[in-house]
Amino acid sequence: MDDEIEFHVEERIREYIARGMSPAGARAAALERLGDLGAVRSECTQLLEEDRRAEARRDWFDDLRQDLRFGVRSAMHARVFSLLAIFTLALGIGANAAVFGVVKSVLLNALPYTDADRLVRVYARMEDASMERSSISAGVTVDLSERQHVFARIAPFFHGTLDVTYVGDAGPRIASAALVGPGFFQTLGVAAARGRALVDADAKTGAPNVALLSWPAWQREFGGNASAIGRSVRIDGDSYEIVGVLPRGFVGPMGAVDFWLPLDLGPALRDPIRARKQHWLGLIGRLTPGATPLAAQREVTRIGADIARDHPESQGGMALWTVPLRDDMVGDTRTPLLVLMASAGLVLVITCANLAGALLSRSLARRKEFAVRVALGAGRGRLVRQLLTESMVLALAGGAVGLGLAALCLTSLRQLTIPSLPAYADLSLDPGAVVFTSIVVLVTGLAFGLAPALSVGRGNTQGVLRDETRGTSEGRRTRRLRGVLVSGQIALCVSLLAGAGLLVRSLWAMATAPLGFDPDGVLTVSVQVPSHAYASPEARIRFFDQLEERLRGLPGVQSVATAGELPSPTMNRNGLSIEGVTWPAGEGQPFIAYASVSDDYFRAMRIPLREGRTFGPQDKAGATQAIVVSEGMARRYWPRGGAVGARIRVGPNESFPWAQVIGVVGDVRNDPARLQPDPMTYASSRQDAWGSRTLLLRTSSDPLALVKPVQRELAALDPSFAIHDAKTLRALMSDRLASRRLPVVLMIAFGGLALMLASAGVYAMFASMAAAREREFGVRVALGSSRAAIAGLVLRQGGVWMLVGLVAGAAGTVFVSRSISELLYAVRPFDPIALGSAAAILCLCAAAALLVPVRRATKADPIAVLR
Amino acid sequence: MFAKESGLLQGTLELLVLKTLSWGPMHGYGIASWIETATDDVLRVEEGSLYPALYRMTRKGWIGGKWGTTENNRRAKYYHLTSEGRRQFVEQTSGWQRFASAVNQAVASTRAPSWAR
Repeated sequence: MDDEIEFHVEERIREYIARGMSPAGARAAALERLGDLGAVRSECTQLLEEDRRAEARRDWFDDLRQDLRFGVRSAMHARVFSLLAIFTLALGIGANAAVFGVVKSVLLNALPYTDADRLVRVYARMEDASMERSSISAGVTVDLSERQHVFARIAPFFHGTLDVTYVGDAGPRIASAALVGPGFFQTLGVAAARGRALVDADAKTGAPNVALLSWPAWQREFGGNASAIGRSVRIDGDSYEIVGVLPRGFVGPMGAVDFWLPLDLGPALRDPIRARKQHWLGLIGRLTPGATPLAAQREVTRIGADIARDHPESQGGMALWTVPLRDDMVGDTRTPLLVLMASAGLVLVITCANLAGALLSRSLARRKEFAVRVALGAGRGRLVRQLLTESMVLALAGGAVGLGLAALCLTSLRQLTIPSLPAYADLSLDPGAVVFTSIVVLVTGLAFGLAPALSVGRGNTQGVLRDETRGTSEGRRTRRLRGVLVSGQIALCVSLLAGAGLLVRSLWAMATAPLGFDPDGVLTVSVQVPSHAYASPEARIRFFDQLEERLRGLPGVQSVATAGELPSPTMNRNGLSIEGVTWPAGEGQPFIAYASVSDDYFRAMRIPLREGRTFGPQDKAGATQAIVVSEGMARRYWPRGGAVGARIRVGPNESFPWAQVIGVVGDVRNDPARLQPDPMTYASSRQDAWGSRTLLLRTSSDPLALVKPVQRELAALDPSFAIHDAKTLRALMSDRLASRRLPVVLMIAFGGLALMLASAGVYAMFASMAAAREREFGVRVALGSSRAAIAGLVLRQGGVWMLVGLVAGAAGTVFVSRSISELLYAVRPFDPIALGSAAAILCLCAAAALLVPVRRATKADPIAVLR
Repeated sequence: MFAKESGLLQGTLELLVLKTLSWGPMHGYGIASWIETATDDVLRVEEGSLYPALYRMTRKGWIGGKWGTTENNRRAKYYHLTSEGRRQFVEQTSGWQRFASAVNQAVASTRAPSWAR
């Protein structure tokens, strides 16, 4: 533009001079005619600038379209390469999307309550750390709600869920129910989706029986029909009116149940034993505006200390504490989830490194194509952009397939209904997860495309075009880049394998350590006795005696027993008193796991008797209560022996007469995830008759074949109630480990994937190295070099990078085992077997991967090469 | 003449540029000179508005510019009409002629309006 104006002015000057003006005068006149030069120039510049921008935009989109078309075409051209790339990307991205889907629904999504951040759960804990998340007594909930100022609303509820017999259209079934105190739904800030929620008046003594349905139960039992509200249903023999339906997706802090029933604390509070000595309530509170969880923690702890001082007999050694409700419901899934997310991320990084290596080889093979394009006028930036577009095309395709895989994974995970995940987690790929995946896709495409893209266009175009034969050799830079990529893959792979190995070892330790009983060949069936028909303990005892007698007659049955509770991590616990022993004031009474069992329980479970005797017919109602304790318990409280014959009391009621220890049996591990057995106390089912019991049938054949006969016998005895949860004891124990197993299985899958990718990377590195030096090797062979010497040459060149990878992997392993140490049981973080086998597996796979290319290098034919 | 502020005359400048280029490609200085010669120096092109007008017309796609050399071997940017420019030229010429003759007719009229009688 300046040239143009300058030309104009000069022409004008020439004209004026021709007309007879002096040069200086002519110049002044010419400039004057042009007017304000600056203004003209800036106006023109602006116009030009706008032009240029519009054009650049047009060009950019044109180029993009062209690049995309070209990218798709070149991907179609190298079909096998593209399919492999898309497949590995799909696995890497799919793994991330799926794990993120779980992480998001568990850790990030909102709880199904209003302002869930303001909700806090109150627990008790024993000062001696024997119980961390204990329920609290009715008295304490009242004391706490009277003395506290930090909560706007506070609500007690029965800490667990319970099984009830529900009589619907399809006959009697077992349903689940929760008992919630006044203000429960108001505290959570949840209103009914249909009808009304429970209100304080529903929990008043003498109020009519009402029940609230969960959304799934409403769909299942009433087909989602609005007429369900106002209907009356029979639950445990009582009639309840349905007053409302809770919103879809609502679950309580205790889990998901079918029926929500009001809980009246009145009777419990009037009974001095039940008010203070039974710890059976959970408590949630909503913080007052302005109060922080920390303030709540301080106040609750202080009040807890006050209560313990006021009621040392029931609260001694027990402290109150709070935890934000979300943290409580997320529970111990946080660490495994984060570990899995990190592992999935590592797999994706390995995928990127792997594809970067593969693209590097590919761009070497395409050097000629690039040289031609440069010769035809393509700039380096243009080439880089082209290659990045190509890798983006691959990443997008891989991402799309990966998203599909992730959706499939989550669907199957949903069907597994993993007990370890919080009940509110809905496990789906919502828009947030899709956005996350898209970002992952873009970053991935950039990550694996950048290095190869930058490596092109650096070479000497003319040389490449002229020299046909050397078109496939690689330069120093590329070789180093590839080496770094491979050693990175090896390092990450070793770390992942080591992590997986440690988890496998600890799962193995949990699964194989003796449980203390024999879970094989035993069928377990839960039986819920209707409390109305069998109100007295005698009726219940008679019923179970008859049932056991009938079942003993079934073919193949070796022994039959019943237990109030099977070994589980959440067993009922009772306070322990020992005659003549006062517990230290600071510690208070210990709480010991407790089960009421029938005479043959120890035989059916194959728990060995160590001392004294087990229960017999003489331990009947009215006789001195007999107690059997576990070895560990005997060792702890009677370290010098003499447990048998000792007088103790289990349970809250101090007016009960002393019970007597009649025998000592072997320890059992109630929680298969813990290697240390819990102390146990057992009472006879004749002296403590529970209405809800589990049948145990030991058989010499397949336990599940007994389900039908058991059902028949039960129906013959009393057709009015159903059985549920028929399972082998082995399966039941295995379920308890399911939550531990899932992260381990996924870690193994990730480790395997990483191993596959890293092996492919090692193979590619050696293959391209051998190919590049084929001519040289031919010459060496011709000059008398041995095959072994050539193999050594190749191995040395690649081996250095593998070694670097292993050393870096060792460092990564330290980091990995630190971060998963929380998930390890009975295995040291630096377990030599786990770490050694991880390294060995990797070296084995790498050796297998490098065998072919190294063999090919040694086969270099001197004659063909020299010719 | 051809003040930048006047929209009417702005349009006139564009028409004159189109007319000039209808003879063949020419540079900015040549365009200005030709207009002056063709109007017997009655219309003097305000050079401050000529170049912005040329760029604006380039953006509208009426004319295009190419660097070339003059008879005395100097580099100059030559503008030429595009097909769109040619279409614009025909259209604007007839428009201008109707406008000018109408103004002319009014200015040259000898019939007094009724209110002046």
